[in-house]
Amino acid sequence: MNKPKIVCFSCKFSWSYLADESKLAAEISNWIPIICAGKIDAEYLVDAFLHGADGVLILGCPEGDCHYQDGNIETKKRLALLRQALAVYNIEPERIRLVLARDPEGKDIPGHIEEMAKAIGQLGKIKTAKA
Amino acid sequence: MTGKPKVAICWLGGCGGCDEAVVDLNEVLLTVADAVDIVLWPIALDFKYDHVKAMADGEITLSIINGNVRNSEQEEVAKLLRKKSQIVLAFGACACFGGTPGMANFRSKEDIFNWVYKDAPTVNNPNGVFPQPVSNVDKKELTLPAFHESVKSLNQVIDVDYYLPGCPPPTDLIAHAVTATLENKLPMKGSSLAPHKALCDSCPRNSTKPQKIKLTEIKRIHEIEAKPDICFLAQGVLCMGIATRDGCGHNCIDINLPCRGCFGPVEGVRDAGIKMISTLAAIIDAETDKDIEKITEQIIDMAGYNFRFSLPSSMFGSLKNPE
Ligand code: SF4
Ligand code: SF4
Repeated sequence: MNKPKIVCFSCKFSWSYLADESKLAAEISNWIPIICAGKIDAEYLVDAFLHGADGVLILGCPEGDCHYQDGNIETKKRLALLRQALAVYNIEPERIRLVLARDPEGKDIPGHIEEMAKAIGQLGKIKTAKA
Repeated sequence: MTGKPKVAICWLGGCGGCDEAVVDLNEVLLTVADAVDIVLWPIALDFKYDHVKAMADGEITLSIINGNVRNSEQEEVAKLLRKKSQIVLAFGACACFGGTPGMANFRSKEDIFNWVYKDAPTVNNPNGVFPQPVSNVDKKELTLPAFHESVKSLNQVIDVDYYLPGCPPPTDLIAHAVTATLENKLPMKGSSLAPHKALCDSCPRNSTKPQKIKLTEIKRIHEIEAKPDICFLAQGVLCMGIATRDGCGHNCIDINLPCRGCFGPVEGVRDAGIKMISTLAAIIDAETDKDIEKITEQIIDMAGYNFRFSLPSSMFGSLKNPE
């Protein structure tokens, strides 16, 4: 398959807040900095797959470190439920990845995306989804 | 010919319950029948599609169409009624969202045919006969409607003016929809002729719903003796009432069953099933991966539960796109 398309959401409280955002955005395609991983509604993920994403990566704050108390845990639960629903279409759980860590300069973001793209490359295209 | 407005009522891919709901209007139906000319109602009156074909475009004031579209005949009738009608009302969950038969979209057409005509244990079909749109018997050509790849809601096939959800819609909302049409008091095109809020808003159990729900265990309705006056979520039973449009008169709740979502999403929401996933996550009381997994596993067939009435029209259902 061609290089897998990964959509990446990252929370600005722990990721890339010291970086030059526009410079980084020019380097990373389909990167969406947001305020709080808890903002990621299940709808955004389904929408990403409908727009041709092969995988979605969410970068949130370390556990216990959410600016809004537990946005990262809320997202963790949401992803677990969504993964279960997606199984009905054989959409593998690995296509949604959550990394909870801190990276103020955002220098690790391309590496995280690269690593996920590699893993998704092994899975191939989503069998049932629209391209 | 009278000068009365013409009304058509028609049944596509559905169970007949929606037509029954119209009959349940009782005396109101007699008043309506006085005020309009019914020009098509296959389940009750003997008009033919040819009568409709002979009419001028837009001659029918209102077409009330129930059921989804799964085959070529249903598609043809839907398109014919659209052409001849000023207003099309998608009536019932199947027409509005695809309905329970829409869950067939979890499978391919091929899977369905193989099961129904070959693999199901009660099938005896040694010659492997499958229904064909055209077959020749004794030099005569016989035709059947072609079975489409997937179930579609009405608005995926024709332009729909108004929606009246429910499985089936309740009589008060039906009477209201018909009166609003006849009196020219319909809201903006595209509206659902039902309340905007969620079912919880009118649910008699709402006062027992805790301010902050914390689910530590999820049970299915048959696994507990559900208390008749306590919010289902407070009893650990999933209830779609939080993500479902109000208007049914809390039918299921009143017979001690949780809401399954036949009224579809509340105003402004694209996909009730996905919203239910987000909402459910917020009320599950777990933090560690292990605890989250434990409670998630207690939800049997989440996709089937959340999209029981709405798969064809949902965003989620678009993930599978066989056509
Ligand atoms: S969740 Fe269900 S039982 Fe509870 S208030 Fe809402 S509709 Fe009623
Ligand atoms: S309680 Fe829910 S499933 Fe039952 S009739 Fe009302 S909206 Fe439909």
